[in-house]
Amino acid sequence: MSWELVKPEDSFSTSPGMNQFDDYIRRNVVMTTLEDMLAWSRKHSVWPFNFGLSCCYVEAATAISSRHDIARFGAEVFRATPRQADMIIIAGTVFRKMAPVVQRLYEQMMDPKYVICMGSCANSGGMYDIYSVVQGVDKFLPVDVYVSGCPPRPEALLQGLNLLQDQIGKTRRPVSWVINDQGVYEREKVPVQRLKRRAERIAATELRSPDEV
Amino acid sequence: MNSSTVTQVNESSLPTVIVNLYQRFGEASFVRQHTAEGMPTLWVGREKIMGVLKYLRDEHRPRYEMLLDVTAVDERTRIHREGQPAADFTVVYHPTSFSGNCDIRLKVALQMDDLHMPTAIGLWPSANWQEREIWDLFGIVFNGHPNLTRILCPPTWKGHPLRKDHPARATEMEPFTMSDEIQDREQEALRFNPEEWGLKRRSETSEFMFLNFGPNHPAAHGVIRFALQLDGEYVLDVVPDVGYHHRGAEKMAERQTWHTFIPYTDRIDYLGGVMNNLPYVLAVEKMAGIKVPQRVETIRVMLAEFFRICSHLLFFGTWAVDLGQLSPLFYAFVDREKAFNIIESICGARMHPGWFRIGGVAQDLPNGWDKLIREFVDYFPKRLAEYETLVMANSVIKERARGVGSMNTQDAFDWAMTGPALRATGLEWDYRKNRPYSGYENFEFEVPIAVNGDCYDRAAVRVEEMRQSCRIIKQCLNNMPSGPYKADHPLTTPPVKEKTKQDIETLINHFLSVSWGPVMDPTEVTQTIEATKGMNMYYLINDGGIGSYRTRIRTPSFIHIQAIPFLSRGLMLADFTTVVATTDFVMADVDR
Repeated sequence: MSWELVKPEDSFSTSPGMNQFDDYIRRNVVMTTLEDMLAWSRKHSVWPFNFGLSCCYVEAATAISSRHDIARFGAEVFRATPRQADMIIIAGTVFRKMAPVVQRLYEQMMDPKYVICMGSCANSGGMYDIYSVVQGVDKFLPVDVYVSGCPPRPEALLQGLNLLQDQIGKTRRPVSWVINDQGVYEREKVPVQRLKRRAERIAATELRSPDEV
Repeated sequence: MNSSTVTQVNESSLPTVIVNLYQRFGEASFVRQHTAEGMPTLWVGREKIMGVLKYLRDEHRPRYEMLLDVTAVDERTRIHREGQPAADFTVVYHPTSFSGNCDIRLKVALQMDDLHMPTAIGLWPSANWQEREIWDLFGIVFNGHPNLTRILCPPTWKGHPLRKDHPARATEMEPFTMSDEIQDREQEALRFNPEEWGLKRRSETSEFMFLNFGPNHPAAHGVIRFALQLDGEYVLDVVPDVGYHHRGAEKMAERQTWHTFIPYTDRIDYLGGVMNNLPYVLAVEKMAGIKVPQRVETIRVMLAEFFRICSHLLFFGTWAVDLGQLSPLFYAFVDREKAFNIIESICGARMHPGWFRIGGVAQDLPNGWDKLIREFVDYFPKRLAEYETLVMANSVIKERARGVGSMNTQDAFDWAMTGPALRATGLEWDYRKNRPYSGYENFEFEVPIAVNGDCYDRAAVRVEEMRQSCRIIKQCLNNMPSGPYKADHPLTTPPVKEKTKQDIETLINHFLSVSWGPVMDPTEVTQTIEATKGMNMYYLINDGGIGSYRTRIRTPSFIHIQAIPFLSRGLMLADFTTVVATTDFVMADVDR
């Protein structure tokens, strides 16, 4: 399903190479399958669970608030109960005492559910190889996207969200009145950005000097 | 500008408090210990300690009104304990006097076969949680304590983590797994049992409801659980349950070097950023005898005050949300972003720069820093005025916050409340003013106070503090001294690079200094600062190694949470969130 955004003032000018009637139809009628429509809707309405563990949650909250505005990506409907949420952001350190609570909250979410793992602690324990910290939330939860940083910037979390949304948009859900497992829950893996961007990154020769603001 | 000086121990004249204690209890009751910062330090027998504490609190002039800290040390692997009584474990009391502006440290030696102490709850109720913490982390029993249960570790935990024979790393222990059985067992262990806390399930007329507020709750400000005993909408009692955020920072300090522990301090009060570095590096500098250049002091003050503004803005926004106003949070976050932009352009990171160093800061201020800050100090006071109209002058907010969760100064002493909570009760006490550190004596600023000590006053004090912080930043901007950003001292870490390139000797010294960091004579030292949330104290014991033998981090949030039941009994459930918000804790600052 392809679509585009146009500015209101452009709405009466004809696109190049098209007559006015065809263009009007193109801009007002969407031809798609129900499956595609559903995938598109799900991609743009991920409801996150209002959940945070430590420092990373402050940056997650920054991503929600005015400057970064997660609503631009249709993921602003933060739910206070896991039962209404599609996605949980594990924002912060996963503590031994908190782990069973995290597990229960995850279990209370409805399928299909997604996990974004935010920050070094949740990814791997990070700098806290210490008795009270679980060395990564993937010791007990399936993680869809890992966002690196300590804490990651809000923009990094938003990028993680976009990657997850791309993946959700590619997944096709069963469209049927029969409510059962129809074996179509395979999800695609999010490509590892480190490998994808490696060539571009090592090509950088000039880095910004820390001596200038 | 004058720099803060390291207090020299004067051998000839005894501090007055020691003279008084000798007269009252006899010199034979004590063993005196000398420390780097010159704080009076006495070893006392276990049978006499409560008498001494009671005397200091009630009869001594000046009175020691507050028990700032109680902690313990596992002494079993110490090398240098010359002149100190034999001990396997030591319990350390730290009463502080506001009227006399002084501190004293009292230590009690315990042997492995008899780890028992009398409880100090009868003197200061604030000792309750600190004694539970000591039991949890060291296994020392406090006789007479009403609820000597685990507080930071899960209730099912085996062992006492701060003992030297307990593993530090998760990777030294059995790998973590979560089978259904483990999950059920751990969840069952977390079940709240009112009888354990002496709470009744019903009165003659009604049956009480027990509500779990947390450990994940939108208005709980972090991973904390309050078990509320409710009679309808009224809060009868509250039992806070902490430890969901215990990151073992004090254990971590024992395996990091002096230098490599700095980034961990950032994450203690994670809204305080580099302000957390400050007491730690100041304490190490006291030990090393480093006097930093004035430029370093001023840069440190400037950044610390930026973080005070960031932290108070977060408090302000979330408090308004808790009272039903959503938009102030968005305004506050816009300003936080402005402050973070400046912090990032100076330090290279937003929340946890870890940018202070032993003997200096990581690098000099970048070109153009002053322009950014000038824009901010011109802009921010106007915004603050808007916020006051929007929130503080709002009649609904006034109605909801005035007279709610009040405490007086004596209550604040009993519960060891410091910072804005103490000042809201009317006591004009600010560590920056009363015992200046890092050059605060050179700045002009007011110490805002209030009268009623209620939720509204606590918030109002913080709003005014933001204005004063902005004033301090402006003075830093206009009077930034020139000079080096690192002290010219052999223990400055990392050392100045240019000095390495002279000959093989300087290169070797540089190599040792970078890999080990400073190595100093065994001693102990404390440094307190006025942090974002109250008095934050680092108590470091150096046994002559490349890192700390014991690091005690006295954080304001941990102590403040204890007072929440006291502040909320009898309130409506909706008012409880106001009390929680204005206590202004950060869970990492609570559980460390």
